[in-house]
Amino acid sequence: MTVDILPAPSSVAAETEPSLPGRASVLRRLARDPVALTAAVLLTAIALAAVFAPWVAPYDPYYTDLSKAMQAPSEAHWFGTDNTGRDILSRVIFGTRNTLMLGLVGVIIGGFLGGLLGILAAFYRRLDGWIMRLVDIMLAFPAILIGLAVAAISGAGLTAVIIALVVATVPDVARVARGAAVGVMGQEFMEAGRAVGVSDATLIWRYLTLNCISTIFVFLTLRFGQIILIGSALGFLGMGAQPPTAELGMMAAQGRDFLFMAPHIATIPSLAIFVIVLAANLLGDVLRDVLDPRLQQ
Amino acid sequence: MGRQILHRLLISVPALLGVLFLCFCLLQVVPADPAMIIAGPDAKAETIAAIRLELGLDRPIPIQFVDYIGRVIQGDLGRSIISNKMVIEELGHTIGPTVELMLGAMLMAVPCGLALGTLAAVKRGSITDRIIMAFSVAGVSMPVFFIGLILIQYVGFKMALLPFTGRTGPVWAGGLPSLILPAVTLGSVLIGPIARLTRTAVLEVLGADFVRTARAKGLRETVVIVHHALRNALIPVVTLIGLQAAFLLGGAVVTETMFAWPGVGRLAVGAIVSSDFPTAQGAIMILAMAFLMINLIVDVLYVYLDPRVQRG
Repeated sequence: MTVDILPAPSSVAAETEPSLPGRASVLRRLARDPVALTAAVLLTAIALAAVFAPWVAPYDPYYTDLSKAMQAPSEAHWFGTDNTGRDILSRVIFGTRNTLMLGLVGVIIGGFLGGLLGILAAFYRRLDGWIMRLVDIMLAFPAILIGLAVAAISGAGLTAVIIALVVATVPDVARVARGAAVGVMGQEFMEAGRAVGVSDATLIWRYLTLNCISTIFVFLTLRFGQIILIGSALGFLGMGAQPPTAELGMMAAQGRDFLFMAPHIATIPSLAIFVIVLAANLLGDVLRDVLDPRLQQ
Repeated sequence: MGRQILHRLLISVPALLGVLFLCFCLLQVVPADPAMIIAGPDAKAETIAAIRLELGLDRPIPIQFVDYIGRVIQGDLGRSIISNKMVIEELGHTIGPTVELMLGAMLMAVPCGLALGTLAAVKRGSITDRIIMAFSVAGVSMPVFFIGLILIQYVGFKMALLPFTGRTGPVWAGGLPSLILPAVTLGSVLIGPIARLTRTAVLEVLGADFVRTARAKGLRETVVIVHHALRNALIPVVTLIGLQAAFLLGGAVVTETMFAWPGVGRLAVGAIVSSDFPTAQGAIMILAMAFLMINLIVDVLYVYLDPRVQRG
């Protein structure tokens, strides 16, 4: 007997559980909900601007011109200029690029490692206790502390922030993945797969992981906003990107010194972070409602 | 109940050891020699050798770790490179302000969050509900420093209503005005999540049989909501506060730095920026332990609030 005789595990899961809606229903829901639609459009626009920053930004984000320092928003400089006369709009666009990159790298690496740990814990019951203890210990370190600790060791920089964000993501994802995987482990097709001698690797990937992936994905989109907030807080504390690199949190911190003379220098990057996180949170909520309503609990 | 608390205490031992191990590693893995760091840049070779011997750096790592735990228990966290004071002394000065800030933030956020969440649940579907929920989503998405910047600029600077740098003293000695802006900044991060969860929890409880019974008895609506609904809704909210402790602590580091609040978070950031490793190590350890402590308190509170946990 070969694996091919068995029905595809994902289709079995689809029959045993209330059907998981596909891409079409996500789009339908987005089109119906004006807030979610605005969030989706906004986030797409921000992401596109970040990706094509060199073409979109009106000025060189690193070009200083002291004769134009601390100008208020105007037609020439929509978001004004900072204390060294750099165009804030261009720096916000480049800063968004770095901030989004940090969030994405943190969520992707953290999601992968956390998902792997959670699924392995569910599959190999012997490892369960050990992995979950490790996760508990990781939970004992708030992300900001990890960032501070790594910065203390290796010096402040983007690496310190990425490590902090990964460590912040892993334990929560591991818990969610384990929860989802334990549910799948109870399904009959897992037992059937084992009975016909499907290898562990295939069972883990094709039977278990593919059935948990939507839960993990939805959870990660919900976490994305938080991860951006943590990353920019570390940037604000001076543990992340170092000048002159543009990163939104660090830009807000630099602007703080000129708060009373030119409040826009600090306020605009902070506002940009707020808009990104708000859009990500609103979109995450909709994706959760459509793709995985169980996570709402 | 005592057994549950003891059990919970035992569970936190591995996490505590993990915290100590990471802090121990902090000085082990720094690129430079710990003895050289502690001795300072202009130290003679003999001084470095003496420190090396004193710290036991020539011994195997596991023994050094046990030694380190022993020193921590005795309160010996080394000496600050910058101020040359004992780290434990520095921590002693800063821990009070941090606790004060966090308590202040909670005292502001918890009642506000509970009130807003309950109001939203009672007025479900109304415009009030929508406004409160929109406010709470916005609150969750707002960087702590953004709120701080706005408060400093408007309340502190333009209107000159409250001080916004430093701490004038403990709350009981006229320090309250200087605490308000930092506490509001930090607390505002918590209001959103608390309001959101309270709303869900109250809505769930409002549909329960005992609430219907309370209403059938002819109790006033306020009594039904406050005594019957809200009290039961508190259980998930307490759990949430435990879960938010990480954000509270991270937020405290940012808030302290912004408002020049002389707490542990600001000490840690300052120490890292000036490469004062022993102080950074001590401050990070205290913060991580504070986090463990908050979670412990939350769990104990949970047992107290929910009699079902006691029996289970």
